[in-house]
Amino acid sequence: MGLENRLSWGNVLSLEHPTKERRLTGPDDPGAASDLVEGCKFGKISAYEELYRVHGPRMKSIALNLLGNVSDAEDAIQEAFLKIYRSVGNFKGESAFTTWIYRVLVNTCYDLRRKHRRRHETAELDADPAGIHPAREVSDHPLRMTLQKCLAHLHPRNRAVFLLFEVEGFKHREIAEILSIPEGTSKNLLFEAKRELQRMLWESANSARTHAS
Amino acid sequence: MKIECKDLPYVLRHEEPELLKALEVHTEVCTPCREQFKIWREISLAAGQLRQEWESPGLWPRIHQALAAESQGSKSTRSWSSLMSSWQVPAAVLALILIAISGVWVLLRNSETAPVTDNRVDQRQPLLTEQALRDIESAEAAYIQSIEKLSAVVEPRVQQASSPLLISYREKLMLIDAAISECRANIERNRFNAHLRQELLSVYREKQDTLQQVLREDKHELR
Repeated sequence: MGLENRLSWGNVLSLEHPTKERRLTGPDDPGAASDLVEGCKFGKISAYEELYRVHGPRMKSIALNLLGNVSDAEDAIQEAFLKIYRSVGNFKGESAFTTWIYRVLVNTCYDLRRKHRRRHETAELDADPAGIHPAREVSDHPLRMTLQKCLAHLHPRNRAVFLLFEVEGFKHREIAEILSIPEGTSKNLLFEAKRELQRMLWESANSARTHAS
Repeated sequence: MKIECKDLPYVLRHEEPELLKALEVHTEVCTPCREQFKIWREISLAAGQLRQEWESPGLWPRIHQALAAESQGSKSTRSWSSLMSSWQVPAAVLALILIAISGVWVLLRNSETAPVTDNRVDQRQPLLTEQALRDIESAEAAYIQSIEKLSAVVEPRVQQASSPLLISYREKLMLIDAAISECRANIERNRFNAHLRQELLSVYREKQDTLQQVLREDKHELR
């Protein structure tokens, strides 16, 4: 039985309602954040290790959702750390350090995608949602899988905003800093992304109903 | 606050708590809006499950190694540039003083002797004669040859190096070789310039020191 056939509004709507947790893993203490910035500016490896410990899991998740496979995601994180090391001296504190590092990461992921696209113009990552290979499936719920497939068809900017807000728990203010867009644009892009996903899910559910009858 | 069906997109776009509360009241009586709102929330809930997690014990060591290599590279570049500036500035000052002294000396000589005689003096006592130049060149050649011999021993080890320290030495040696080539090109244009020769020898001296350090490090690693 195909995935689309298994999906119906019955199981879509009966999805358990876990408490939506905001997974903000960054250090909230401004003093700790400032120490981390200073450590990074002085080139202390221990500061980078702390950065990896605190932000690594979230960086991995963002990179994997943007790039679609573990190997590229890990390459992007390594490259992002090198970029942070090289340019932390230019960090003036106009934005929060945490949003700055995620901006570096997201841009690195975009660069890597562009590089891959140039190399394999025929193998579009977007058109191949099956190319996403997480090392550990969180859940095998049909909506999650369908959502993952639908996400691959979203415009990259809409997808990035959706992932950062809904999956990673960033606020619109932070997303605006990460993606260098106004806060209002972040809200609009999220709305567009969700409306598009809703449309795709409706279509998917209708198609499942047709097959069933 | 009262919400109607046509307000649904506005409320979902802005997701303000007051508007959402009013929407919930509206969805109690409006089935289409209730369905849409439910799906809207389901998408957010399902999105939370898209968080990707996996164990990657090798990732931090990889990043650590890359950062260490980057740090070594920038340090060697910094030390080389500081080395260049440390000897270039005094050398330039010394050269300026020499030029000034020789200028004064020439002016004084001009005032004492006729121009014709002065030309003859210059021909008899040039600053660097052909014979002196040949002696210097042969001494330099012997010195350079000995360093090149040392380089032939060390370079294969440095080329195959995998440790960050030896990689940084390799980069430093590349910089030194580039400086040597530049000096040589300048000397080709002006063979009688003693300052350029002094500069070339000091770069060779740096190369010799670096090669000796590499040998010491290599021995240390083998142990």
